[in-house]
Amino acid sequence: MRSRGFGELEAVIMDRIWNREGSTTTVRDVFDELVAEREIAYTTVMSTMDNLYNKGWLAREKDGKAYRYWPTLTREEHSARLMRDALSGGGSPDLVLSHFVEQIGPEESARLRAALRKIAARGRRTAK
Amino acid sequence: MTIAACLLLYSLALLVGGPPILRRLTSLGHTPLLGVAAWLTAMASVLVSWVVATTSAIVDVAHHRVHPGAAIAACLTTLRGLAAGNAGTALQIGLFAVISVGAAAIAASAWRLLRTLVRMRSRTYRHARAVHVVGRRVDGLDAVVIDSAEPAAYCVPGRPHAVVVTSAALAALSERELAAILAHERAHIRGRHPQIVAVVRGLAATFPKLSLMAQGAQHISRLLEMHADDAAAEQHGRASLLGGLLALTGSMPVTSGALGATGVAVLARAERLAAVTDVRPGRTALTAAAIAFAAGGPLATIVLAVAGVLSCGF
Repeated sequence: MRSRGFGELEAVIMDRIWNREGSTTTVRDVFDELVAEREIAYTTVMSTMDNLYNKGWLAREKDGKAYRYWPTLTREEHSARLMRDALSGGGSPDLVLSHFVEQIGPEESARLRAALRKIAARGRRTAK
Repeated sequence: MTIAACLLLYSLALLVGGPPILRRLTSLGHTPLLGVAAWLTAMASVLVSWVVATTSAIVDVAHHRVHPGAAIAACLTTLRGLAAGNAGTALQIGLFAVISVGAAAIAASAWRLLRTLVRMRSRTYRHARAVHVVGRRVDGLDAVVIDSAEPAAYCVPGRPHAVVVTSAALAALSERELAAILAHERAHIRGRHPQIVAVVRGLAATFPKLSLMAQGAQHISRLLEMHADDAAAEQHGRASLLGGLLALTGSMPVTSGALGATGVAVLARAERLAAVTDVRPGRTALTAAAIAFAAGGPLATIVLAVAGVLSCGF
């Protein structure tokens, strides 16, 4: 499996935890799953999950000697939040994204689509 | 002091005359990157003239009073002279005050710009990281897929960068259209367009009163879109890209008021893609001349100022 460093492991672990749905998870559970597919140390999984907790992705509760972890938000909630940030036009001027098409209001976009269709038809004629 | 005054005059001329000229030269986006260079050079030229003007004024003042003790003595003399109602030295003090304010303003602006850039970077990188964690990977697709009912495609710089496509966009696009859009976004990343946009946007925010900066930021974004369009059209054809533009336009909910400029910008891109390429050597040459003018402006001004000083025997 192609590795893209530490950040990639965070993504893989979150993926596993989201897929478990409902139940809480220990570092041991995640490690057992991962070690079947890749060479990985228990301490790596532990520190990554600790990081995910510190960054707010995971919540945890002490259970005996170990922690039990669960996601703070579902994947869907995160997706919705990301899209809200990305699509709310001038919402945050600090977020530098390059949209293929900027967000446009419904009335204007109807007019725009009509104009685009005309241009596209013309473009097809000139292209071929 | 003549050099500083001439440079300030030059920057003023550029601030007033630059935007309309550059707007006209770059509006159609015949050679988008050249247009970007023209705006960037003009913006940089203004900043460079300010820094050089202030530095040269400071050097001028310091030159007359090299020795710190002498400077203090001169200062005391000046103050006594001022008390005695000596207008000439009052002018000197005024000048000194103006220079100090100028230098402080430059330092404050640089600090503000730096802070804005750091904030943008951390906010944007955080988004990229979150995208990598939340998004799905699809085999054979060099992009991150986020589940959303709104069709959208964008790129976000970070470590690593991310090209994001929503699940709704995947459903709305044909294979060729998708490939063209991804090529467009990758052209942004490859050309470091987000970084350029961040800097000019930061400049526009730092100098909100200067229309050269605000318009520059706006036009540079627009031209970079056109450049990415060209790169994508070259690989996947204009029709695919135009189709993608059409598929991703509309049916999005509005969160803010009417975005008139955005619609116009999308139409301009589409017009450009549909039109038969007509290279206009005249306009290209004029744009190149504008770049040369803005790049050489500060130096030429200094040379003229010095020559003027010599010939007047001042």
